[in-house]
Amino acid sequence: MKTATRVFEAEQVEFSYGPLRVLRGLTLAVEKSEIFGILGANGAGKTTLLRMPVGLLKPASGSIRVFGAKPSAQCNARIGYMPQQSALYQELSARQNVDFFARMYGLARVAARRAAVDRALDWVELGRRQDDPLNRLSGGMRQRVSLAVALVHAPELLILDEPTVGLDPELRATFWGNFSEMAAAGTTLIISSHTMDDAAHCHRLAFIRDGRTVALGTPAELRAGAGGDGPTLEDAFLHFARRGDRP
Amino acid sequence: MTIDRTLAISTRIILQVTRDRRSLALIIVAPVLVMSLVGFSFADRREILDLVAPGLIGTFVLFFVFLLTGVSFLRERAQGTIERLLTTPVGRADILVGYLLGFLLFAGIQAVVILLYTVFALQIQYKGSLAHVFVLLALVTLVAVNLGIFISTFARNEFQVVQFIPVVLMPQIFLSGAVLPFEQLPGYFQAVGRFLPLTYAVQGLKGLMSEGKGLAGIGWELAALAGFALLLLFLAALTVRRT
Repeated sequence: MKTATRVFEAEQVEFSYGPLRVLRGLTLAVEKSEIFGILGANGAGKTTLLRMPVGLLKPASGSIRVFGAKPSAQCNARIGYMPQQSALYQELSARQNVDFFARMYGLARVAARRAAVDRALDWVELGRRQDDPLNRLSGGMRQRVSLAVALVHAPELLILDEPTVGLDPELRATFWGNFSEMAAAGTTLIISSHTMDDAAHCHRLAFIRDGRTVALGTPAELRAGAGGDGPTLEDAFLHFARRGDRP
Repeated sequence: MTIDRTLAISTRIILQVTRDRRSLALIIVAPVLVMSLVGFSFADRREILDLVAPGLIGTFVLFFVFLLTGVSFLRERAQGTIERLLTTPVGRADILVGYLLGFLLFAGIQAVVILLYTVFALQIQYKGSLAHVFVLLALVTLVAVNLGIFISTFARNEFQVVQFIPVVLMPQIFLSGAVLPFEQLPGYFQAVGRFLPLTYAVQGLKGLMSEGKGLAGIGWELAALAGFALLLLFLAALTVRRT
């Protein structure tokens, strides 16, 4: 049943790259203000799914809805998207990259944009390196710039494709703390990952395997659904992956 | 289309290219080297250089600007930055016009370098007004930028873009009248040549520089080049893919 607070919905989504079927009737829904984790092994279809709400891919069949409507440029103004590869301008500094994308998101006024860029750069704790060209930053720092780009316009929905890859444990903990604060303030986060450390921070999870949702629920529900004596999330993931159906 | 987004894209491109000192130097040095080579080749036959120079100016402007734009736009595609732009509310028109304005600055510099070097360093004899030549070269530049953006949509890497040079540019060089006078080409080659933008660039430049015509005298060539520029811009807009 659809609710007014549903932010993202995928229903029976099919998608193929040529002969390779990547999504096979995938269904899931994300509610407002939740941190929704999409977990799966490499090649499970996570990235393909996350490219759909921002209009980069269209399902061959089934439907994708964001804020109750089909993906569109208007919807994109309310979404922050962080791809797996940073996809930023290497010759420009971190600040210039974030400032440029702020303008793309419609922050035309200089003062408001400067404040938004400062806030985003503070958020990712780039410190004194924010004026260095990207090609002089480490992979982890570029990842942080990419995240700053995704959240500079204070989006209602934040889609992050493996955002914690390349981050040190301390920064990863800081990020998860900030993600929780954002969700508490009303932002919806959809985060893909293949690590169970990330999964434990999510309000709800979807385990994806071979382009299908094989399990859906809170971390506690999934652990309980996997049975056994106090299974970990990893145990639960393996359980549902092998069983190949919903709990 | 929003002006702020369009300007942001063009200023970002200008900033990027100016940060890359080597590319910036090559934008100026490469055309000068090639034109010098041509000049030295005809050192003892100045009258032939005077005859072919207008065609060569048009050809080299098209060649270098196409290469600059095609490779730059392709690099954006390969690095995923075009795709990331498409995840924002930015429109296709913003992207294309923004890129057009950004590339036009450097393309314009190349066109001016080629023209001034040929006229003043190689000291070719010419009639007519240099200002009129600039006007025509501005249109050639516009055609080349749009052609570069359009062709880059069919390439997945820099190697493929370079492969398009013989396919897209070589027929134009031979069928436009840049090498042999257009009237001396076989009829079927002339028929094909009439559908190629370089033909109108070469004929227009010969009209201005060899025959001393004014802009009014090459009105048809100017209109044809403007038409090609618009057509290629339209095709580029159709092929800015979302994936």
